[in-house]
Amino acid sequence: MDAHLSQIREALRSQDGYALAAALTPAAPANDPTRLHTLYRDDITLNAVQAEIRHAVTYHDGVKLSKAERTAWTEVFGNHWKAIVEIVNAEQGRERDSSWTKAFEAWKEVLNALIRGYQTSVFEAWSIPCLYVGGNYLRKFAIKADKQAEIQQGSVTFNAGFQDDIVGALDQHETLEEAGRQINRIYTLCITDRAPLEESRKWGVYYVTNLLFKTYFMLNRISLCKNVMRSLQTTEPDLPPLDAFPKSQQVTFKYYAGVIYFLEEDYAKAEQYLTSAYELCHKDAQRNRELILTYLVPCHLVTTHTLPTPALLAPYPRLQALFTPLSRAIKRGDLGAFDAALTAGEEEFIKRRIYLTLERGRDIALRNLFRKVFIVGGFEPLKEGQTEEQRIRRTRIPIEEFAAAVRLASRVPGGEVNGGGFGAEEIEQDEVECLLANMIYKNLMKGYISREHGKVVLSKGGTAFPGTGV
Amino acid sequence: MSASAQGSSETTKAVTDDTQYDQSGAPKDQQKAAAELGEDDEFEDFPAEDWAKEDTELPGGNQHLWEESWDDDDTSDDFSAQLKEELKKVEANKRS
Repeated sequence: MDAHLSQIREALRSQDGYALAAALTPAAPANDPTRLHTLYRDDITLNAVQAEIRHAVTYHDGVKLSKAERTAWTEVFGNHWKAIVEIVNAEQGRERDSSWTKAFEAWKEVLNALIRGYQTSVFEAWSIPCLYVGGNYLRKFAIKADKQAEIQQGSVTFNAGFQDDIVGALDQHETLEEAGRQINRIYTLCITDRAPLEESRKWGVYYVTNLLFKTYFMLNRISLCKNVMRSLQTTEPDLPPLDAFPKSQQVTFKYYAGVIYFLEEDYAKAEQYLTSAYELCHKDAQRNRELILTYLVPCHLVTTHTLPTPALLAPYPRLQALFTPLSRAIKRGDLGAFDAALTAGEEEFIKRRIYLTLERGRDIALRNLFRKVFIVGGFEPLKEGQTEEQRIRRTRIPIEEFAAAVRLASRVPGGEVNGGGFGAEEIEQDEVECLLANMIYKNLMKGYISREHGKVVLSKGGTAFPGTGV
Repeated sequence: MSASAQGSSETTKAVTDDTQYDQSGAPKDQQKAAAELGEDDEFEDFPAEDWAKEDTELPGGNQHLWEESWDDDDTSDDFSAQLKEELKKVEANKRS
């Protein structure tokens, strides 16, 4: 306890927001695994604890706090003490009626005391990391509370039957939703601060935004994320530039912003944010890199029609499993293998919300297949005086050849015809024409269909398949 | 692939979330999706608040991350060989 008090005192004296936030953190750091238990005291009254805290922040050299500040921090750390008791109890199931819901409620009081301190202009902006800890752990405890409630309800509904099951289901994220509302209060507190930038709570905006994103994603309220994005865009001229914030905040923000644009199918913006997140991400943050790439890979497929190199995916076995079969099928123009890979990964793709985007890769696979037909078709006979370099590819290609290619490529290993593809044997000329027209419409092929000759007339001079060198 | 994430409680979740957030306007499959995303799928807190540029660079650099989607070097693979055969047949049919 003494160490705790002197940590608070020292942080207040040196106005070190992160040190004060560390004192507030309701978790044990790696170098002090018993920290919470040291702080845990259920044999003492709140008054006594507050007296100790008040004493610690008052009668010492170098700590110059106003009376209002002393009172407000005493309020915060008094509530903190109460919360620690509930948290340790919940962790250990120590009391019969202990629960993460109670820990959540107790921690909410800590956050309330903090928010009051800022609302009344008692706390200065240097201490905003305390708000980060307040919001972050409110979320964590809310998740635990909801999980615990779900388990308890689960055992109740098992006995009580179907009716309660529905009620229980609707309340499933009740605590997390409440956490979202509280974190939104912190967001407002930060973004509406009109103090000069150097001492503004606006420096807390991105950290808190990230907390909101994480919360709303878990609640599946993407529309609320979009509201936050809009609010940020409106305020942006008054905010410090994003690159002035710590990298952890930049990367997290860019990841979520990228995924939000991705879900809106604004792939150009999504790529911009995700690429930046990837480039700034800490090299050891393997899991976060993996998450960024989960969206960046499908994004690239749509925006630039490029695929990840084996080197890029090498450190991530999970991503290799997800994307390698699809990539290989796309490269080979193997429609059957593409459909098989999409089906095999369907569950995971849908879970990651990338299924619809990856499905668009089929066009690229088809483009590559038609491109092969073009290349296998070879060259026109040399005309008089033409050199080998000047020869031109055969650009009038019978539609039947494309049909044959589609038939061949739709086969899956084992000879069965893939259900997702075309009835391989009976593929109609009309269907192939439709595919070709689609390719041309999407600018993946350049040329036109000459129905009277049953041929596709492709553009000459290395532009038949734009961007691919032929 | 994700069998480990498919415990019984996860399954319940998937069903219930669909009913709860049907109004969010997201396409059906995205909703199903999100229902199963849990804490483990969340972007993790970084151990450090900030870091230097050197700490963002992977060994091997950030080069050669992406490659073209077609491959002209594999014309010798089975598939291309089959394709050639197939196209020859088309040609032959036309002549006959």
